[in-house]
Amino acid sequence: MAPESLGRTAARESAQVVAGYAEIPNRFKTGRSAYDLAGEVLAALLDRMNLALEDIDGLSVTAALSEGTNPFYAAYMCEALGITPTWLHLSGLGGCSALSGLMRAMSAVREGECRIAVVLSADAPSTIYRADFGAQRPEFQEPQAAARPPAAFGLLMNRYAHQYGLDPNALGKIAQVQREHAVRNDNALPKLRTPLSMEDYLQSRVIADPLRLLDSVMFCDGGNALVVTSREEAKRRGWSKLAAPVAYAEITNFNGRDPLADITETGFGQLAPRLFAQANLKPADIRMFQPYDDFTIAVQMQLEQLGFCERGAGARFILETDLSFAGKLPLNTGGGQISAGQPGLAGGALNLVEAVRQLFGEGGQRQVPDPRNALVTGIGVIPYGRNWSTSAAMILEPA
Amino acid sequence: MSQETPARRVPAESAFTDSAAFWQGTREGKLVLQYCTKTGRFQHFPRPVSLATGRRTLGWKEVSGNGTIYSHTVLRTPGLGADGRLPCPLALVDLDEGVRILANLPGADLDRLKIGARVRLVWDTLAGDARYPAFALT
Repeated sequence: MAPESLGRTAARESAQVVAGYAEIPNRFKTGRSAYDLAGEVLAALLDRMNLALEDIDGLSVTAALSEGTNPFYAAYMCEALGITPTWLHLSGLGGCSALSGLMRAMSAVREGECRIAVVLSADAPSTIYRADFGAQRPEFQEPQAAARPPAAFGLLMNRYAHQYGLDPNALGKIAQVQREHAVRNDNALPKLRTPLSMEDYLQSRVIADPLRLLDSVMFCDGGNALVVTSREEAKRRGWSKLAAPVAYAEITNFNGRDPLADITETGFGQLAPRLFAQANLKPADIRMFQPYDDFTIAVQMQLEQLGFCERGAGARFILETDLSFAGKLPLNTGGGQISAGQPGLAGGALNLVEAVRQLFGEGGQRQVPDPRNALVTGIGVIPYGRNWSTSAAMILEPA
Repeated sequence: MSQETPARRVPAESAFTDSAAFWQGTREGKLVLQYCTKTGRFQHFPRPVSLATGRRTLGWKEVSGNGTIYSHTVLRTPGLGADGRLPCPLALVDLDEGVRILANLPGADLDRLKIGARVRLVWDTLAGDARYPAFALT
């Protein structure tokens, strides 16, 4: 048992809270910009929270693939939306941007830099893709056609298969369970809202051996937002459904100085002990798992590295565990990015928003019974010949 | 197999950090990689500092081009950057000098593509007859 002093403040006593969220439907090729999608998210948020535009004085904006080369994106977002923040943050940790943005917003509220902060993610990569990754990629990854995620994950999967063995039935079950959840999610991509059979999965074409099409996300457009404020302010405004992180940890460029690193080891293995000690919880205490899912293997590896099971035992754990929303360890109850669609870098917030929705008891026909906590993760950036660059994890509880 | 292999764009040299020695090596048919002059450790891709010292204790040396496949994949669909070369075998190769390199294995027998298989340096051609390191199964 971790000593109490290691823990963050319990959620019920946390002075800063997540007080609300909004999400717009994931749609393919809307023809709209990230700003326009953000506007729709903001309008929905103001309605839900009974907020006025001038109440928002803090903003964390998730960097967007569709605005990739624009260094002024966050400031232009303020102009577009008419927000005049006293705290502004452009969050550039890829699929970890919303998690890290939320933690930094908690700090900003705690430090008095703002009172009501919005963590805003919107992206439209299926309409326009402007990301130019630069750095070493043009010289040392693009000539080999290795700059895209499927190449990196094909390499990772084959190495994992070599060290531990790979069971396609377990990966298929991840896709299948998440699809069942997407069927129950009005905001999921319409074309993904039909149930998936194991046969559909096993017959889907291989795109980068042994990675199948149905192991992968599909790009779309979309957006979402979360409100962070003080408990006092939330009370004053009559916001009664609250949640708060009880633990957070992130790490970037894990093993980045080892020229022959084991690429099946990720940052999650390193951060897991810190995370669970902060929360004073064990993996078996986790009530729902809302992991970042760009590929099914990433979900399996996170289960292992976060300590739900031993290294290499992920497939057995997946096959033996009821991962449905009503089951023992509900998995990506909104469908995840694999089954609800990946609205670019805004996709890294889908699982966070879903966790908050579930903790508020607003999961509707996919509500997790007894939603006493949620483990949410992020994965960011494809590096050179490794696993992934940033790993981030957060445990939230009702506050 | 594709009939035509479209020319692949030659990247700008030294856009990220000084990589001139690497590119000069490709013109001479040598695989020249960056190493730390203090510890002797190789690193690839090239960096602006030695990963061992954090200082600019950097040099360049030719390596044997012999190595072992650490992992591999085969790109099979267009849109992943391998268009015109599909199926496109790709591997992480652990060179005998103790450094890992990401490379293609053009024309490799896909059934023989295995972790632990030995490979040797060959040259792949980019646009304008520029050469890029690749590997062949031995």
